[in-house]
Amino acid sequence: MLEIKNLHACVEGEDEQILKGVNLTINKGEIHAIMGPNGSGKSTLAKVVSGHPEYEITEGEIIFEGEDITELDADERAHLGLFLAFQYPIEVPGITNRTLLRESYNTIARENGREELDPLEFDDYLKERLEVIDMKDEFLERSINTGFSGGEKKKNEVFQMAVLNPKLAFMDETDSGLDIDALKVVSDGINKIAGPENAIVLITHYQRLLNYITPDHVHVMMNGRIVKSAGKELALELEDQGYEQLEKEFSVNGEAQ
Amino acid sequence: MSTAVQEKETILNFLDGDFGTVSNIPAIAGLNEKGAGNISEFPFPTKKDEDWRFTDLRSISRNHFVPVSEAGANPVGDISEYYLPEATNSRLVFVNGEFNPELSSTSDIPKNVVVGNMAAYSDHEILETHLGKYTNYDDDRDVFAALNDANFKDGTFIYVPKETKVEAPIHVLNVFTDAEKAFYTTPRVLFVGEAYSKATIVEEHVALTQNEYLNVTVNEFKLFEGAHVHHARIQRDSKKANHISRPIAHLDKYAEYHSYTICLGAKLFRNDPRVVQNDEEVDFTIDGLVLIDGDQIADTHSAIDHRHWHAKSHQLHKVVVNDEAHSIFNGKIFVREDSQKIDSFQENRNLLLSVDGTVHTKPQLEIFSDDVLCSHGATIGHLNEDEVFYLHSRGLTKKKARELLVYAFTLESIETMEVESVHKLLLDEVVKYTSRDEEFVAVGK
Ligand SMILES: Nc1ncnc2c1ncn2[C@@H]1O[C@H](COP(=O)(O)OP(=O)(O)O)[C@@H](O)[C@H]1O
Ligand SMILES: [Mg+2]
Repeated sequence: MLEIKNLHACVEGEDEQILKGVNLTINKGEIHAIMGPNGSGKSTLAKVVSGHPEYEITEGEIIFEGEDITELDADERAHLGLFLAFQYPIEVPGITNRTLLRESYNTIARENGREELDPLEFDDYLKERLEVIDMKDEFLERSINTGFSGGEKKKNEVFQMAVLNPKLAFMDETDSGLDIDALKVVSDGINKIAGPENAIVLITHYQRLLNYITPDHVHVMMNGRIVKSAGKELALELEDQGYEQLEKEFSVNGEAQ
Repeated sequence: MSTAVQEKETILNFLDGDFGTVSNIPAIAGLNEKGAGNISEFPFPTKKDEDWRFTDLRSISRNHFVPVSEAGANPVGDISEYYLPEATNSRLVFVNGEFNPELSSTSDIPKNVVVGNMAAYSDHEILETHLGKYTNYDDDRDVFAALNDANFKDGTFIYVPKETKVEAPIHVLNVFTDAEKAFYTTPRVLFVGEAYSKATIVEEHVALTQNEYLNVTVNEFKLFEGAHVHHARIQRDSKKANHISRPIAHLDKYAEYHSYTICLGAKLFRNDPRVVQNDEEVDFTIDGLVLIDGDQIADTHSAIDHRHWHAKSHQLHKVVVNDEAHSIFNGKIFVREDSQKIDSFQENRNLLLSVDGTVHTKPQLEIFSDDVLCSHGATIGHLNEDEVFYLHSRGLTKKKARELLVYAFTLESIETMEVESVHKLLLDEVVKYTSRDEEFVAVGK
């Protein structure tokens, strides 16, 4: 479904590389976890894949369902079925969740030759999807993330994903800052959304999310590269040992390899 | 009138007219005479005048305006698209400043209430008592209020007696037609609301074509004790027009006056709203929403005068500027020595969509009292790039994302509209404003 090859990226207009050759393959039906210390480039990877204009790809390719998407705008990538749950969902006062989602859902439907939903149909659909994340109706009337608690913002990202039904979602630290109840609701929601036709990439700092969601693959990212990939046991290993061991291992040869 | 040699230019340099003839209505005649004297005396403003420092008046001074009767103005056709369904029978129509009885209808107005043109009420006691008693623009040697005084022979007269509520919104619709020559016109409004009366007024200025004219308006609103007025002002003048507006409200005890001025049209719009507090415990609003692009100039110089205890005032002035448009805001707030317990809110928020747009903003507080809650602020910003990306990443085009964000910026102002169809009309205007083909250039963090 997604193939990232030797991806290098920097902040637009600057020299310093943040991503220094990322390779990653994701297939339909899989759940991946990307872990790694702060500043290793996890969020940058997610944003570059979603088409954030702040970053420039200097080398490599991103192939999504056979198509090179590196030149596409963020909205075009969303139309193809990509979704990013932001690490820091921003507040957009004055635009309600409902307004955004209807515009968003119908644009994606239109671009894919599917039928748009009229306001009444869409309302029914929204109500059904609210159950995925155990949210109340009034949530729809509120301005996007405005005045939301940290946990509500994260839930709102999962809710948007539940409504838009992307093929591939990058979820950037959707678990961080959640109390145990919220964590259960969020992981429950993600488990409900995950299916054989889609794929999910969980970017996380902690093993704790992985107690609720079982990944098929775990990757460790360090200094702009994926340095290790394995099954779910890798997460437990990291939980025990931390990143120090790996950091030593991968700094022996310095920047090379 | 004497035509003594002037050291400075007066407005008479830019227009034709015979200001020697006065109305045969005594209440108006006196003002005509006073105005005629003033316009030949008051110098036309220049950038050296503090109140006109940033305002480019060349669209007036490089033009020449004739009276409507000499302009070769087109007759008005069907303008029903501008009617408000809520005000089907509570509407006054003025065409190029002249009252049009055929297009007006006031059958929904209660019998004890006056909604009509001044000329039809020439000997009404209220008109005689109040007309011209509230404007104070002469103190500033204001040539525009003087021109209105000198030239108007008719106008809108609204009188709501004691404890009377006018249910239907009163729609004062000023339409402007195309003409061979640039003309000037001077709409005038007198509103008198007696004790505990209540009314909603929608004052609208709308051009049928994009022609040149000079629209100089004076509004006098007198609210007696406990009177309550909601006043929506919608300015959709021609983008080649000049609209100079002088609305003043005098509030007695417990009066509530809430006005919302929406500026969409005009090449030059200059609005000097003033509110004068005559007694304690008044509550008032002079909000504004400005959406301008091209080479439009929108200038608001407001003055709020708190003279007594317990006043609550609100002024949210929101501005969106695109292209080379220019917004000016100068908000004077006075709190006199004897007025305590004042709660005054003023905020000017500017959204700049282009690199070449200009915003000048200056809150001006003059507070001589100590028990005052006065919040004020001014911001100038671009669209937030992170907000744009958030929406963009959800599948919306950048253009759509920006449209939604501008729409969101204006919404707070539009939601204050009481009349449903006005609310809707403004939402449509915002969509029209934002959904141009080009993208907005400027973004920021
Ligand atoms: N927009 C940006 N401007 C400057 N530096 C950035 C920007 N985005 C990321 N970086 C830098 O790139 C590195 C990786 O950041 P990030 O991808 O956020 O890491 P992670 O999500 O793994 O914590 C950090 O050193 C960070 O400071
Ligand atoms: Mg991060």
